[in-house]
Amino acid sequence: MTDSDRSEARLAQWAELWRGSVKQPAAAELERGLGGLRLRLLADGARPGLARRMVPLAAALVVALGVALFFVLRAPTGSRSRAPLAVAHVTGGKILEAGYLAELGGKGMELSFNEGSRFSLTPGTRGRLRTVTAEGARLALDHGTAALRITPSHERRWSVEAGPFVVSVTGTDFTVHWDPTSEELGVKLRQGRVAVSGPIVGDELVLRPGQNLRVNLAKRETVISEEPADQPSESSPAEPAPSAAAVATPHGAPSGSATAPGAASAGPGMRRWREALASGQWDRILADVERDGVDASLRTLSSDELFALADAARYRRRPELARSALLAQRERFPNAARSLDAVFLLGRVEELRADGKQRALRRYDEYLERAPNGTYAAEALGRRMILVKELEGRESARRVAVEYLTRFPKGSYAEAAHTLERAP
Amino acid sequence: MPLPSRAPLALVVTPTQRGVSDAELAQAMAAGEEWAIGEAWQRFAPLVLTTAERALGSKSDAEDLAQEVFLRLFRKVHTLRDPASLRSFVYSVAVRTLRSELRYRRLKAWLTFRGPESLPESSHTSPDLEARDLLKRLYSLLDRLSPRDRVVFTLRRAESMTVGEISATMGISVSTVKRSLAHASARLSRWIAGDPALAELLDRGLERRPE
Repeated sequence: MTDSDRSEARLAQWAELWRGSVKQPAAAELERGLGGLRLRLLADGARPGLARRMVPLAAALVVALGVALFFVLRAPTGSRSRAPLAVAHVTGGKILEAGYLAELGGKGMELSFNEGSRFSLTPGTRGRLRTVTAEGARLALDHGTAALRITPSHERRWSVEAGPFVVSVTGTDFTVHWDPTSEELGVKLRQGRVAVSGPIVGDELVLRPGQNLRVNLAKRETVISEEPADQPSESSPAEPAPSAAAVATPHGAPSGSATAPGAASAGPGMRRWREALASGQWDRILADVERDGVDASLRTLSSDELFALADAARYRRRPELARSALLAQRERFPNAARSLDAVFLLGRVEELRADGKQRALRRYDEYLERAPNGTYAAEALGRRMILVKELEGRESARRVAVEYLTRFPKGSYAEAAHTLERAP
Repeated sequence: MPLPSRAPLALVVTPTQRGVSDAELAQAMAAGEEWAIGEAWQRFAPLVLTTAERALGSKSDAEDLAQEVFLRLFRKVHTLRDPASLRSFVYSVAVRTLRSELRYRRLKAWLTFRGPESLPESSHTSPDLEARDLLKRLYSLLDRLSPRDRVVFTLRRAESMTVGEISATMGISVSTVKRSLAHASARLSRWIAGDPALAELLDRGLERRPE
């Protein structure tokens, strides 16, 4: 064999090994990637892409290979125009190349950020700090439990990717657990607000303080249980299977907040439904209603039961039924405090329906008119902005964006509003 | 632009539930249809992820790159003149993004006086420890190539693309591809020959291959 033949044979041997070294991505990996993509598309324009990252580098090359260039290079991605976010301290381990977190000493690891946020990983947890930008950080949790205490700031978006799930937050105190073997996700929220997206839970399942979420992919089971909010959080990583004791509806609205007669029921039916909601058996609620007759149920269910039915129908992607439940709530309990919530939720339901965007817009308008400072005012105006962009174009949406930024400069839609405002 | 049509790419053509054509999907993406995000991802992400992982040697880096590819794709899809060529367009965007990433890494490594970003851990699935070690060492050789040579070599050797397909995908001439390929192959062969342990590992693999 000549040297040339030998070289070619070696390269061919390498190529064979190389081609066989990569597996097709698993469905769960694709789901997780899609969740991440949706988040990034939502915030598109906020984070410079690779091409834009190249611009300051190239410019700096032309000018000088000076000290300033090193600052540019060492600054975290996306930090050109804002105070950069950075990891200030790492204890119990170190950050390797590409953000991998390596625990040293087996006692867990803690990352402290310069603005006060903190990630605590329990011993044996594996993860990766995927990005740290001016807009926040992304943690990928491969296995184990991470407790996060995020300093509230609506200018930043933080997220934790756990298997196919994405937990996104602005400012909060919560714990995430992911076990890839049993495909079980646990989220325990102590303060603030988090939104979980992924298989089974859908696009966005919002948790309220005190709620624990457990999703078991293999069993296709979702459990939301509740414990008193603002529990001490020190060293209390989320157990993956919180006991489902007192269970709230996924809105987390306190029972009894409605004031109309019969609004705050706690009858046997509601108790059973709470259990059904807690174990993710939304079909059971829907089956009960279908057995008793939808119309009859809508006439007789309590306010809490109507909200529970609306939740079950929304999670099961039955917007027509969810809409009927919310309309019944409005009609039968017009003076209940939660009737206003129903208006906003009707907007969300309309968005799920085919050609429902115009109707959703009207619901948000109604909510904003009746409750300009209501619980969902910021979200209603944010959704309004998104819908106006889709229905009427950027120019109209820009006006809503300006209004949004005036009223809620640190709201969760502020990034999208800034993007719209800046767009040519 | 010709479609990359060799086996590794054909494997990732995923059947779709919606049954829409690539042209319809491209139009929906350009129109900002919500469903098009998931459809485009399900249809093309496996292609992008596997190519990126082979090129970069890391699953996590491949995932990050795929996100960037799709962001660019959604920004640029309205410039696609022939919607039916969406698959080629995706591949082209992926290759350009990959090349940009490799350039950025190289530049960053040079300016910060650090070596190219090495793999923190191998993401490869081979159960053979020797094979994993071999791959790791070979990736460190790839890090020494220029971004263009590396991408050309990867597309030719790992993705089994023809010189013409590489030329079309990268937007460079066939003669440039050939030159780049020859340059990369010669350098890699020289480096392998200069590392007796590595050469021996490869030769041992050759001996085990069935005739």
